[in-house]
Amino acid sequence: MATINGSVTVLDPIGLHARPAGQIVKLVKESGLEVRIGKAGQELAKANSPLRMMALKAKTGEELTIEVDSDDEAVATALIAQVQDFLKG
Amino acid sequence: MLDSGTILTGMGVGLGSVAAEVFRVKPLASLPNAAKHSGDEALETESLKTAIAAVSLEMNGLAEKAGETSAEIFEALIMLLEDEELFDTASAQISQGWNAGTAFINAVEEYADIFAGDATFEERLNDIRDLARRVAASIAGISLGLDIPTTGRFVIVGEDFSPADTAQFTQAVVGVVTIQGGPTSHTAIICRSKSIPAVVSCQQAKDLVDGMQVLVDPVGDRVVVDGQESDITEALSFIAKSEDPIIPVRANIGSLEDAIAASASAAEGVGLFRTELLYLSAKTQPTKQSQAASYTEILKAAPAGPIVVRTIDAGSDKPVPFLDMGDEENPALGVRGYRLIENHRDFIVDQLESLEIAREQSGREVWVMAPMVSTYSEAIEFAALARKAGNFKVGIMVETPSIVYQIAQLAGVLDFISVGTNDLSQYLFAADRMNPSLGAMLNPWQPALLRALEQIATVCQEAGVSSGVCGESASDPAFAVVLAGMGFQSVSSSRSQVGIVRQALSSVTKQQAKEVFEAALTGLDADQAKSAALAALAAISAK
Repeated sequence: MATINGSVTVLDPIGLHARPAGQIVKLVKESGLEVRIGKAGQELAKANSPLRMMALKAKTGEELTIEVDSDDEAVATALIAQVQDFLKG
Repeated sequence: MLDSGTILTGMGVGLGSVAAEVFRVKPLASLPNAAKHSGDEALETESLKTAIAAVSLEMNGLAEKAGETSAEIFEALIMLLEDEELFDTASAQISQGWNAGTAFINAVEEYADIFAGDATFEERLNDIRDLARRVAASIAGISLGLDIPTTGRFVIVGEDFSPADTAQFTQAVVGVVTIQGGPTSHTAIICRSKSIPAVVSCQQAKDLVDGMQVLVDPVGDRVVVDGQESDITEALSFIAKSEDPIIPVRANIGSLEDAIAASASAAEGVGLFRTELLYLSAKTQPTKQSQAASYTEILKAAPAGPIVVRTIDAGSDKPVPFLDMGDEENPALGVRGYRLIENHRDFIVDQLESLEIAREQSGREVWVMAPMVSTYSEAIEFAALARKAGNFKVGIMVETPSIVYQIAQLAGVLDFISVGTNDLSQYLFAADRMNPSLGAMLNPWQPALLRALEQIATVCQEAGVSSGVCGESASDPAFAVVLAGMGFQSVSSSRSQVGIVRQALSSVTKQQAKEVFEAALTGLDADQAKSAALAALAAISAK
């Protein structure tokens, strides 16, 4: 399966906190895809656990790398855009 | 036993007040001690699964009871409770021999270690710990209900209340007092949304017992033992007696939207333009042209009067992506504000030069100041950079106690200073702004802060340096009068407060403001200082 890469920026003034973490995991679970998120240059974490998302301790202004395992590029791109939306606060 | 009339100081939530009987929630039933299981891992894992499902169901029930405002909070909590990773961590604990309840608590604590010291998560951490206790209690067959009466009128007193606790609040809850928790705690948020008068972070409330009568007086940031509704602190009303305030009231802005909104207020110029917001979402350093263009737009839109621009105030707790800041153990005490000059001199010079272009293009009067200056040498260096870059009035923020002692030596170097009271409090009291349990020390009415501020105003007058205050305290109308009474020459308030601060400063003469400040000085603690100042103000407006 192909992997589609993207990047998102945390714009929420309080960083990647419980609400966006929960929203992201919910979205990922509903999509049925494997999605990994992490800080650029660091090991990525599977986006199936809100606690693990919060444990990234991503702050306002930080850029995150996101990988989606999917052969459907349109679906993956839409998912990444939706994640960015959750991070707007 | 607390005497009748005793005043317990905390932080008020809301504007209403209430007098009623104390209902002290009983301390949570103690959970069984950490223990190992008898060897049947599968049985323990199964019992953990059952307990998580039971608590999840209980939370769903509470969510319905709590209504719309809390539904989102409960949804987030349930997701954390059912977190797969957390379950795996707990399973690993069971494999190590711990019983189901102990394993789940240990698993949550593993995450607690990761989040420790991170202010953003600490409040949520308490919520998750509360969930872990509920799971352990469910396994042990212990009830964690608060048993709040359903009839009568009660002021509920406790350490702090989790979402699961506040959902159990009944009709009988007419007031809330918490010993811990700050203005952003869950208790505060819920009380605000339900208009329940509350005082949080009220440490002396630990001595309140069932059956006592108390007045919850959020406007006065206090709880009064045996207080009556007639003792409430009135939200002060100011009647303007002159057209102009005794010192100019400027506005704080951070963006073009703010500048436009501020120009619709009565603000006389801008007392604090926070520039970092322009950079927080930029991935690469913006060019000088693009910075100049953004600044020109904002300067043009800002309310008439001088515009005080603060150079970038970033640090590892407020990182700017392209400035590449590492993590720090103590960001508040680390490389932040003007200290960035060490590694990012070019960026700060660029910022000043962009501002000069914008100043010329907008035709506005621009003052520039650097944040977090703590030595004479830093002030001298910044002044030289700023004067070389453009035609500005040049100043510094006074946020660290150290610089207070060298302002006199900066006579002739600086045109002005501006005090950031929030940071000055944090550094003066060595009390972390992000830690809600230290809120009482960060109260601007603390007598030590009042005296420090007076010292700054006085030394500035002697040195011929113009002085202003742009911290949050300058948005409090009564406090703004006190600042004018000390001798400060301007205040800068958040946009929504400009009107009321202006009105307060138009309702007194300079001499009267001085009297209000002198009244505040008679207080031995923050509450006494504030009460004395408010009494003096009330006496003036009654004249």
